[in-house]
Amino acid sequence: MKPDRYLGLFLLLLAAGYGLGALGFEAEYLADPLGPRAFPLLLAGALGVIGLWLMLFPGADPAPRFPAWRPQVLAVGSFVVYAYALVPLGFILATTLEVGLLARLLGAGWGRGFFSGFAFAALLYLIFVFGLGIPLPLGRWWPG
Amino acid sequence: MDVFSQLVHGFEVALTPLNLGLALAGAFLGTLIGALPGIGPVNGVAILIPIAYALKLPPESALILLAGVYYGAEYGGRISSILLNVPGDAGAVITTLDGYPMAQKGKAGEALALSALASFIGGTLAVIGLTLFAPLLAEWAIRFGPAEYFALMVFAFTTLSSLAGRNPAKALASSVFGLMLATVGLDPGSGVPRFTFGQLKLYDGVDFLIVAIGLFAISEVLVLMEKSHLGEATRMRVETTLVSLKTFLASLGSILRGSVIGFFIGVLPGAGASIASAVAYTTEKRLVDREGSFGQGDPRGVAAPEAANNAAAGGAMVPMLTLGVPGSGTTAVLLGALMMFNVTPGPLIFQERPEVVWGLIASMYIGNLMLLVLNLPLVGIFARILTIPRWFLIPAIAGLSFVGVYAVNNSAFDLLFMTGIGVWGYLMRKFGFPLAPMILGLVLGRLMEVNLRRALAISGGDWGILFSSPIAQVLWVLALVSLLFPWLVGRFAKPR
Repeated sequence: MKPDRYLGLFLLLLAAGYGLGALGFEAEYLADPLGPRAFPLLLAGALGVIGLWLMLFPGADPAPRFPAWRPQVLAVGSFVVYAYALVPLGFILATTLEVGLLARLLGAGWGRGFFSGFAFAALLYLIFVFGLGIPLPLGRWWPG
Repeated sequence: MDVFSQLVHGFEVALTPLNLGLALAGAFLGTLIGALPGIGPVNGVAILIPIAYALKLPPESALILLAGVYYGAEYGGRISSILLNVPGDAGAVITTLDGYPMAQKGKAGEALALSALASFIGGTLAVIGLTLFAPLLAEWAIRFGPAEYFALMVFAFTTLSSLAGRNPAKALASSVFGLMLATVGLDPGSGVPRFTFGQLKLYDGVDFLIVAIGLFAISEVLVLMEKSHLGEATRMRVETTLVSLKTFLASLGSILRGSVIGFFIGVLPGAGASIASAVAYTTEKRLVDREGSFGQGDPRGVAAPEAANNAAAGGAMVPMLTLGVPGSGTTAVLLGALMMFNVTPGPLIFQERPEVVWGLIASMYIGNLMLLVLNLPLVGIFARILTIPRWFLIPAIAGLSFVGVYAVNNSAFDLLFMTGIGVWGYLMRKFGFPLAPMILGLVLGRLMEVNLRRALAISGGDWGILFSSPIAQVLWVLALVSLLFPWLVGRFAKPR
């Protein structure tokens, strides 16, 4: 079965979920004849038609290949960790670790990665905090 | 008021030291962003918006900077096309065809100089076109009512969808994703919360900037991570960047034709720099390539697409400014940026915020001149920047995205949301959904709904109003034609 058919099914389900959500919008008074429901329902209908179309007339797109999924999964995981670690660790430390890890995933050595990560993070910190006046978290692990 | 005196006022805005400095910064960063494979104009503009926002720049200054990055990137894209045979961005793909062969023959400097001149001529002619056509189009569009606007937006989505990807159905789905995302938040008409899942943070709607950076920059990082084995770029020496007058004059016709083609293709919604350069190249190949030298390093094959992609960048500003309906991903991001600064482009902008439009137009004349200077003697510096290793460049894009998104609201939740959108964008790319329609949908969604509801309020709920005026009817027909266009082309092109 062509992968586009699965995508069509996915779009159809998405449209159904979105449309069901839109059915629940109830305005207390109607300022205009359409109200809050109509436009989302129109979108759900459009997406539903596109989904059906893809199921009935799938294109020739082959199933995508994920040649190296490990670095990407690790990268996405590190983005999530970064979001949680940014405030406690501070911008410079968190960014050094993040850039170092990504550089390592791209084939650089740990040393080079962390060193350039530190230089990059420190430079950005200087530019943002002192040049642009935008505060970035310093971290909570400093004594005092 | 006539165009000329307006333009003089524009120059008064553009020539203040701040705006001159920002135009130069935009030109420099744009060339850099265009030159580096992996960051195109969309990513560059999106990543720079939070900085412009945090600096509390006035809207015209922010736009001067961001637009400089946009058209500057079209200059920069050619550098790696010529030196490395790797296009720096989508508009420079065609430039590799004759640019790299020229470099292999030892004429890299000549190719760079000629393409810089071609870019300058294309860019400048497009700004002249913008100056002349934009006010006319705005004057005409002032008569648009909500029904015409709704039809116009549908037309923008259908043309972008039929041109943006291999499969128009997927491109349309991408537009709907964006429109759906735009409905998140309090309903503008009744104040009912929609798709907020009880999150107070979502009552104002999703942050356009976070979506733009996640969708383009983060997904790009994930795509680039796939090819971890690629080695580092080899350095190519550029001795002189001069082109003989004879070669220049021989290419002048191609440059001028490429500029005109590029400008008009740029004005069309959906067709941007990449299509413009391809059309210009094929036109020249048919018209002037008598010896079959195109593809072997013919200077005209470098000049025409470069003139066209720069002209297209200028042309794409016309519908964005005058109608408030952008035709490409990058202009959609620019429009979103303007909305963050509380400026709504559209026909009224020429009366309400002349300093923004005319300041921008004037700065584009200056910016093109700056880009020519940057790209002729200083091209060696940009060539050297191409040797930045991938293992540093890609993490740096991620780091810049993080810091930009965090700086807007100081919120770690935004980083998670950006990551989620980035993964979504990555999957869209993998499954053949183009990204530009989604960002266009997000930017236009509110406007589209408001205009639809206004139209139906005028008619008292009669849907016929959408098709009642001649302008609206023409737009609906055009929308239908553009939807059928790929199918018609496929139908008639196959038998050959």
